[in-house]
Amino acid sequence: MGSYIIRRLVYGLVTLLALSLVVFLLIQASGGGPLDRLKLNPRMRGVIAQLTEEWGLDKPVMQQYFTWLKNFVTPADVRAADGLTVLFGKIGIRGSMPIILILGAGAYTVGTFLAKVAKPWWRPFRAFSLVFVWFTAIWLAKSRLVFSLSWGDSFRGDGPVWDNIFGAAGATFRLGLTALILALLIGIPLGIYQAIRQYSFFDQVGTTLSFVAFSTPIFIIAVGTQLLFALYLEKWTGVKLFFVAGMSDPSYASLSFLARMGDVARHLTLPALSIALISIATYSRFQRASMLEVMHSDYLRTAKAKGLPRRRVILKHALRNALIPIVTLVSLDIAGIIGGAIITESIFGWPGVGRLYIQAIDAVDYPTVMAVVMSIGAGIVVMNIVADILYGVLDPRVRYD
Amino acid sequence: MTDLQNRSGDPGGDDAAEGLAVEPITQWDLFTARMRRHRLAMLSTVFLFVVVFISFVAAPLLKCDKGATECEFPRLWDYTDGLRDDGGRLLVNIAPRGPLPFGSDEIGRDVLSRVIHGGQASLTVGLVTGLLVASLGTVVGALAGYYPGIIDQASMRFTDLILGLPLLPVAIVVGRLLPELTFLPGWMRAGPWGIAFLLGFLLWGSLARIVRAEFLSLREKEFVEAARAAGASDRRIIFRHILPNAMSPIIVQTTLIIGAAIIIEAALSFLGFGVRPPTPTWGGMAASGARVAARGFWWELVFSASALVTTVLAVNFIGDGLRDALDPTQTIERK
Repeated sequence: MGSYIIRRLVYGLVTLLALSLVVFLLIQASGGGPLDRLKLNPRMRGVIAQLTEEWGLDKPVMQQYFTWLKNFVTPADVRAADGLTVLFGKIGIRGSMPIILILGAGAYTVGTFLAKVAKPWWRPFRAFSLVFVWFTAIWLAKSRLVFSLSWGDSFRGDGPVWDNIFGAAGATFRLGLTALILALLIGIPLGIYQAIRQYSFFDQVGTTLSFVAFSTPIFIIAVGTQLLFALYLEKWTGVKLFFVAGMSDPSYASLSFLARMGDVARHLTLPALSIALISIATYSRFQRASMLEVMHSDYLRTAKAKGLPRRRVILKHALRNALIPIVTLVSLDIAGIIGGAIITESIFGWPGVGRLYIQAIDAVDYPTVMAVVMSIGAGIVVMNIVADILYGVLDPRVRYD
Repeated sequence: MTDLQNRSGDPGGDDAAEGLAVEPITQWDLFTARMRRHRLAMLSTVFLFVVVFISFVAAPLLKCDKGATECEFPRLWDYTDGLRDDGGRLLVNIAPRGPLPFGSDEIGRDVLSRVIHGGQASLTVGLVTGLLVASLGTVVGALAGYYPGIIDQASMRFTDLILGLPLLPVAIVVGRLLPELTFLPGWMRAGPWGIAFLLGFLLWGSLARIVRAEFLSLREKEFVEAARAAGASDRRIIFRHILPNAMSPIIVQTTLIIGAAIIIEAALSFLGFGVRPPTPTWGGMAASGARVAARGFWWELVFSASALVTTVLAVNFIGDGLRDALDPTQTIERK
């Protein structure tokens, strides 16, 4: 198992290296450069020469790549910070909560797994792993440790890439997590109900609708919800229920707690729903299929035959096994959610990683482009491994070789 | 279905005795019989044929390059120039009516003809990507599945690498840079072909895995062993014995990939990194339509989006129908 994970991590690393090389070379192979816009102005010649040297744009391509690679993995700044800012660059403890939560959940999962199959000595720690990680994170934050890698400065002149990305990551996590939770809360019960009432009217409608949902590109869903539930809703009824751009109101800081919650919800609902919709369709289809498979199994017939109440048969006997495939699906769907976030964020003006990416690409700001691609790539590698491990934990028949 | 099964159960000995020509029930007959039961898939097939016909045959025939004023009836089909009224003013953002059944866009171009011409880009991307994925995925998967050891290991690691790439970010980078990649031939840098090759290269991984799994299980089957014992070459075993049995997942997966490719192309065009204007694409039209829709000019967005969604929906329904029809164990329960 351990060697399996290590092997997967090594493959993941190779993938990331290949990814970085390909993207880097492609950017270099294209004619345009980050300084093209400045070239229009003859007075900028001096600035261009200076920046070209500073950014090393005049060096051979492979040399630039290796310089970039070396910097990319070199810590830039590990020191005690002043002020109440912390763990991940600029975002502060509240901003990094989602990350901490995810780390905690990951540690809990690994902890559970270790307790189940591997090391007996880990058992007492199992219940504490979540709390443990939580407190470690808070302690790190409180100790005002600043850590960053030298990802360089953005070519668009808006500061260090590391800070920009982790600043935007908070926004993307907020959006992505909400979408994921919405998708799970709606998609799974939908699938279960469809499976229980197979071929009913509800099932047929659900099936057709989910076909429509995953035949619809996310930008159409996003633009559609934006127009229908915000612009036209306001036009027709005069009710301004949702906002179509940004993450919070400019007056956010001066609002009361309740008003803040309301404000966040009104900004978050539409983009999160747009991302969630396709996932809802996918999850409900999968849940329906796996539920049907379980419902036709022998042990379920036994459960029914011995006279257990229907509710108990479905919720306890069927659901437990039917949820297994979904867990893997959800871990793999993270990539889809990130992809959806790129498009949705640029439509809803959500200040997340996706919008940052589009802006960086428009400006050939390749330190940012590379950093975003690598972060997303790393996320996908990790989630793939997590999916495999989870599958092994939940289904004891799976073996790693 | 029942009469087909009865006939296939009885290989027609009586008829032969009577000297009548017997028509054997082939797998194809069974397949078409099952396919015909899937009404939505049949409807979708017809619809898709119509869309393909309109995009590739009708649209080029009706195209008029002479400029809006000089085309008589085909004036409707001009899609690069803005339409003008008698006073020479551009007909900007005209609501759907009479001669402009889909209205006109923000620089006065006829939306109907742009929707019709836009199909070409989407369908080209879908079909070319599908073809690429089918061939690449099948070849790699077949080699990996049939030759265990170093070939299997190497090609599967490569497949993992491709599958590990974040699809949309990479597609966006490449799509953005495509016109500027001077080492590519011109026809790949402009239009939909470059995007199709890009997506084909990014999407074949899943099919290769499926084909490999099929080959792994089929190569242990008795009929393959029999063929090998009879002295068949590897090539013959792969192409004549195993591949025909592995066709159904290949076909189904390719159909799904076609749908996905059309969606991704549209998303790229929407973001401005796909097929470049002025070539009309449904994704690009949805993007410009979305900009004006906020002011109440809904038609460009609605018509381009509906064209896109119905086409992808049709492809997906066909995929669903094929999955049912190609599965020999499937007993038809659906209405």
